[in-house]
Amino acid sequence: MTAITTRIEPTTERLEPSLVWVIASKEIHDATRSKWFWLWTVAFAGLAAFMASVALPGSQVTGYGSFGRTAASLVALAQIIVPLMGLTLGAYSIAGQRETGALRFLLSHPVSRSEAFCGTYLGLAISLAATVFGGFGIAGIITVAQGGGANAASFVRIAVLSWLLSISMLGFGMLVSTFTRRSSAALGTAVFLWLGFVFIGDLGVMGTSVATQVPTWGLLVSAVLNPVEAFRLASLSAFSGSLDVLGPAGSFAVDTFGDSLGLLLFVNVVVWAIVPALVAWARFAHGGDV
Amino acid sequence: MRGMTAALLFGVLLGVSASIPASENITRGDLQSIIDAAEPRSVIMLDPGVYVGNVTIDKPLTLSGNEWPVVDGAGTGTVITITAPDVTVEGLIIRSSGISLDREDSGITVRAPRVTLIGNQLEDVLFGIYLLSSEDSVVSDNVIGAKSDVYVASRGDGLRLWESERSLVERNVVRDGRDAVFWFTDDVVIRDNEITGGRYGLHFMYSDRIIVEGNHLVDNSVGAYMMYSVGVEFRNNIFANNSGPSGYGIGFKDMDDYTIEGNRFIANRSGLYLDNSPSSADAYGLVRDNLFAYNQVGALFLPAVTNNLIYGNSFIDNVEQVGVTSTGTFKDNDWSFDGRGNYWSDFAGYDADGDGIGDIVYRVDDLYNTLTDKYPDLQFFQDTPAAKAIALAAEMFPVLRPLPLMEDYFPLIERPELPPVRDLETGSQAPALALVSLLMLVGSAVILQVPIRQNRSRTKKEAMA
Repeated sequence: MTAITTRIEPTTERLEPSLVWVIASKEIHDATRSKWFWLWTVAFAGLAAFMASVALPGSQVTGYGSFGRTAASLVALAQIIVPLMGLTLGAYSIAGQRETGALRFLLSHPVSRSEAFCGTYLGLAISLAATVFGGFGIAGIITVAQGGGANAASFVRIAVLSWLLSISMLGFGMLVSTFTRRSSAALGTAVFLWLGFVFIGDLGVMGTSVATQVPTWGLLVSAVLNPVEAFRLASLSAFSGSLDVLGPAGSFAVDTFGDSLGLLLFVNVVVWAIVPALVAWARFAHGGDV
Repeated sequence: MRGMTAALLFGVLLGVSASIPASENITRGDLQSIIDAAEPRSVIMLDPGVYVGNVTIDKPLTLSGNEWPVVDGAGTGTVITITAPDVTVEGLIIRSSGISLDREDSGITVRAPRVTLIGNQLEDVLFGIYLLSSEDSVVSDNVIGAKSDVYVASRGDGLRLWESERSLVERNVVRDGRDAVFWFTDDVVIRDNEITGGRYGLHFMYSDRIIVEGNHLVDNSVGAYMMYSVGVEFRNNIFANNSGPSGYGIGFKDMDDYTIEGNRFIANRSGLYLDNSPSSADAYGLVRDNLFAYNQVGALFLPAVTNNLIYGNSFIDNVEQVGVTSTGTFKDNDWSFDGRGNYWSDFAGYDADGDGIGDIVYRVDDLYNTLTDKYPDLQFFQDTPAAKAIALAAEMFPVLRPLPLMEDYFPLIERPELPPVRDLETGSQAPALALVSLLMLVGSAVILQVPIRQNRSRTKKEAMA
């Protein structure tokens, strides 16, 4: 027991920013040349573009409200693809390097484990930013080209939230990666986690709520505890300014937290973006074979 | 006295030197004594200036403002009370009523028939224009603001008509009031008004044969709510973004023989809400050629609502196109007439014979929506992959499929043309969106370029080492 606690203490290892950046830039270089990265980028950008282009400006009433549905579709899309993206890239990162011996090679240089971890994380996080913002950028351009419009601030907020979701999932993926020796096992676990976050969690809460009449606030708590749900709520509140659309539970949230609701939901996503990566870092920095 | 002269002089100078309304700078005498001195049926041209004090008009005359004179109630009572018929009030700024809901402090209260109120601006008033037993009156081109520092439920009604039959309410702008109320007021025409930011945009009870046409009801809690009235017609109005906890574009309760035609319901919580309407067995409800787009629910019925004829409408991208609260269906309502149904953006059918009518039935039997109708808490999972999975599961395994809520046997393939309406003025958000989108793309491109530069610096670093 003591052994385990000491292993997860905060690192006192060297963390030289320039070295971290060297590793990060190498990671970006690798990522932007990998099949996975382009698969995700093309899939996300393509689907975002599709969503934006099928959203009709809709009526003679100057596109009023049309972005609400586009945004809802974009959020639904991000909710499915972005976690998968982050989880698989993260899961493959350390496990893959371990499998090919690249990690052993890297650590044989005067590079600390923390530097290796942070470099990898930073590089992947930046690569994910390229994917996410590229996808949103294309969707935005298409919306404008179709004569639609959207509140630019909400649009940016949703894009940033999507990126935060992606690095949250990257953290989870890397955490899985530190536990597994083989990259195939890491990927399998990542996909399972994805199913849990995206489908099974919600279905479970839904079923429980119907069967046992969970109080309304119970739904909110369940959402806060699931990073993907946290992202969805924060995005909804970013573009509709409220959670009224979510029925009684949404109205309850609005009544309880009032004007600070949007901020709280955003902070919730930020926390989810940071915590998994910190745990993975602590776990990787303090031992285990390479 | 000297101060007043100075103010007058200043006002006159200002009036001469610039064309801005000079009213604010001139303090005038008592408007009531001017009215008292006037002959019946005379025309009083009111000069610019501020007239402080509450006023009662008790004989037929015309009070007409020149360059926006201000009648200021000084925060007490009703600013202008009209007790004689055939009075006209036009071109005034009327402000600062009291705040008593019990006394119904208003900008203008009318207690006589055939009154005309044209082109006035009401500011900082509890109730705006209040017509009590004022038949055959005209209220047009007024701009009515509210006491915006008062909590919305403690505000008065921007417009209230009570037993004022055959009146015309036209081209008024009402902002941030509580409701616009029409009670016991038959045969009223309400046309081209703009009512925003209120609680009930329009609220009717016991008012038959009302015509509501070309109005904009935007950003209210409820667009229009009508009860216990017969023969009402809603044509070519826009109901947008009415999104309170009830949040209906139009809500009807116990209404008979109504026509809802050519309206746009956009981004409301539910576009149309019907509760026991039509209520009599031989009455009709006609809902045709409307647009329902981007609402949470396009049309929401309470269970056991029957006898509506709904055709020629476009249902576009509503989260739930149509729904019934709790466990009912749309049984005994007709979704097509003379071989023409409605247009549904989610119709996944085809038209092999090219007659403009889908060859398969449009059916609403979404399991997730059926569940949310029954368990409203589940709306929390709107648009989630899990919700979609439930709907998909019901598609694939018919055993899970609920009874259809409704069936449209003649779904339209093309979106029908709607009669034109005055457009909402919404500013273009495109430039800002284009800018941020471009920035995002540039940012992505920069990230993709990072390694090349970094590799060089790395080599340099290694060389230095």
